[in-house]
Amino acid sequence: MATAFPPVTRYELKLAAPLAGFYLVFFVGPLVLLTIVSFYTDTKMTAFGLTQYARFLLDPFSLAVLASTLWLGLKVTLLCLLLGYPLAFVITRSPNWLQGLLIIVVILPLLTSVVVRTFAWIVILGRQGIVNSTLMALGLADTPLRLLYTESGVVVALAQVQMPLMVLPLITAISRIDPNLQDASSALGAGAWRTFFRVTLPLSLPGIVAGSLLTFAAAITAFITQSLVGGGQMLFMPMYLYQQASTLNNWPFAAAIAIIFLIAVLGCVTIFNQLGRLSRGYAQV
Amino acid sequence: MLDRRQMMMTALTLGALHAFPGISRAQARRLVFATFTGSWEEAHRDVLVPAYRKMTNNADIALDPMLSVDQIAKVTAARANPPIDVMLHDPGPALVAIGQDLVEPYPVAQSAYYKDLISDAQVETGPAPFFQVVGITYNPDKIKTPPTSWKDIWDPKYKGRVGITNLNSTLGTGWLVEIARMHGGSEKDVSAGFKALEDLKPNLGAVAANPGQLATLYQQGQIDIGPGNFNAIQILKARGVPVEFVAPKEGAIAFKTTIHIVKNTPNKELAFKLIEAALSPEVQGKLMESPYLIVPTNTKVKMGGEVAKALAKDHADMKKKFVFQDWVEINKQRSAWIEKFNREIKI
Repeated sequence: MATAFPPVTRYELKLAAPLAGFYLVFFVGPLVLLTIVSFYTDTKMTAFGLTQYARFLLDPFSLAVLASTLWLGLKVTLLCLLLGYPLAFVITRSPNWLQGLLIIVVILPLLTSVVVRTFAWIVILGRQGIVNSTLMALGLADTPLRLLYTESGVVVALAQVQMPLMVLPLITAISRIDPNLQDASSALGAGAWRTFFRVTLPLSLPGIVAGSLLTFAAAITAFITQSLVGGGQMLFMPMYLYQQASTLNNWPFAAAIAIIFLIAVLGCVTIFNQLGRLSRGYAQV
Repeated sequence: MLDRRQMMMTALTLGALHAFPGISRAQARRLVFATFTGSWEEAHRDVLVPAYRKMTNNADIALDPMLSVDQIAKVTAARANPPIDVMLHDPGPALVAIGQDLVEPYPVAQSAYYKDLISDAQVETGPAPFFQVVGITYNPDKIKTPPTSWKDIWDPKYKGRVGITNLNSTLGTGWLVEIARMHGGSEKDVSAGFKALEDLKPNLGAVAANPGQLATLYQQGQIDIGPGNFNAIQILKARGVPVEFVAPKEGAIAFKTTIHIVKNTPNKELAFKLIEAALSPEVQGKLMESPYLIVPTNTKVKMGGEVAKALAKDHADMKKKFVFQDWVEINKQRSAWIEKFNREIKI
């Protein structure tokens, strides 16, 4: 009897059905609802129109909030990359026992709640925080500096909070690079820096792109850290959205803000992805 | 043998029953009271619920603590069969709920306690069983002479040490209206208040995102003085944080916290009983004591303890010392003020 066995490497799409169903009900459904709500012209939700979008897109203040949120994300991403890359590099080069230890240190923040990590930053940056009391004890400052409720404070806190999202993909990407390539490069006469810029960095670009994407997306939507370290007067998109939805009960405008934010973020993600694609070509040359 | 498909169905059904417990008992449901989170929930669980159980011969009740806005969202989403029977609201959200036709008028004629409430608490859409009071909070370790007036906050010696909240909160909005009044404005026109905020900028050490965060900033020494909620400060004080509350000579700002029967509730009778319990002098008297220190609205409750010491010795004194605001007027322009605050107040 000749029974045709199905090929073992073929997976049935049906296996993904439960997850697909879950997403359909709890993600696609609400997203469609959100889009519909954003097209109502009034808070009582009776008539359809484009007023909410016009209100946002024609208002320089709202656009400035959007721009400053994306700019914040960019700064956090760059800082994470700057600090995270050497860390990831060192981790991949360290002996095994140290590697495990370092990875635990990197992952550790992920195991505590964002609220806890953010509160720690409030304690560090406050008027009587560690930074200020050290500066004053050393005589470098007479009065406490204002570190909390400043944009730099938010950037630093967010960079620490989101750091694992940058470092983990980087470790994966860097450790996948064949060490022979670096040896070959130096055997052919390239110095350490030249090897790094011509070989290691281009080959780790996929990790950089993945890490940047995650960090960027997490930083711009980090409502808790933004509002606790930034305070109630620093307005970024998540707080703007919250204010409209929750304090003012203006759901259509809040929905429109959410959709515009979503599209802007998708735009940024596309740009990152394009960079990633370019890098693949570059790495092969 | 058990069929694979059957097993899947059973598993799914069990899962669904777990995820949506409403399926199995769609009809009779216990009373659900949406209180606020934190100390409110504690006070209601320990004092109000036992009193209600006694009144109703042990009827079942569930506390489901959530923010006003979530209460409104949940009830709006299922108007015909609301998942909540009794709502609790600050003045702003209360008006939204009433405006959206989500509340049942309170059956005043049947109520034993309604007539004993002070006149400001007698609201037919839902009476006010409690007040929240806003006055000056300060750190007595760092500020030796207790402040007496809102004006003290503008004193240059408090440079960088004042904390306020933005207008998202009832506290922030109410305080803006009060300082506007102090400078000749009113609920209709707060431009004088915004001017005063502008002058306060050098003193501002923090604009907190919410009243909860504002309170914790005293603990960290980030701020030493500012407007604060009486109950929030008492909680901090009980935990050993150096904070004091004073009612300013202009009058402490009082907000009504109103309690409402939700329209179309299947438990109207029980909802009424819960609210009656909340209005009763027994419950209010107990909630006035430490550690709750909630300001009573029933005139039959004799003021005592910290409430009498810091706020008012009786209800007549309270009427003189408390400032009530017109939230119907405030709500009309609140969104414009929030926008103005967003644009202008940057420290």
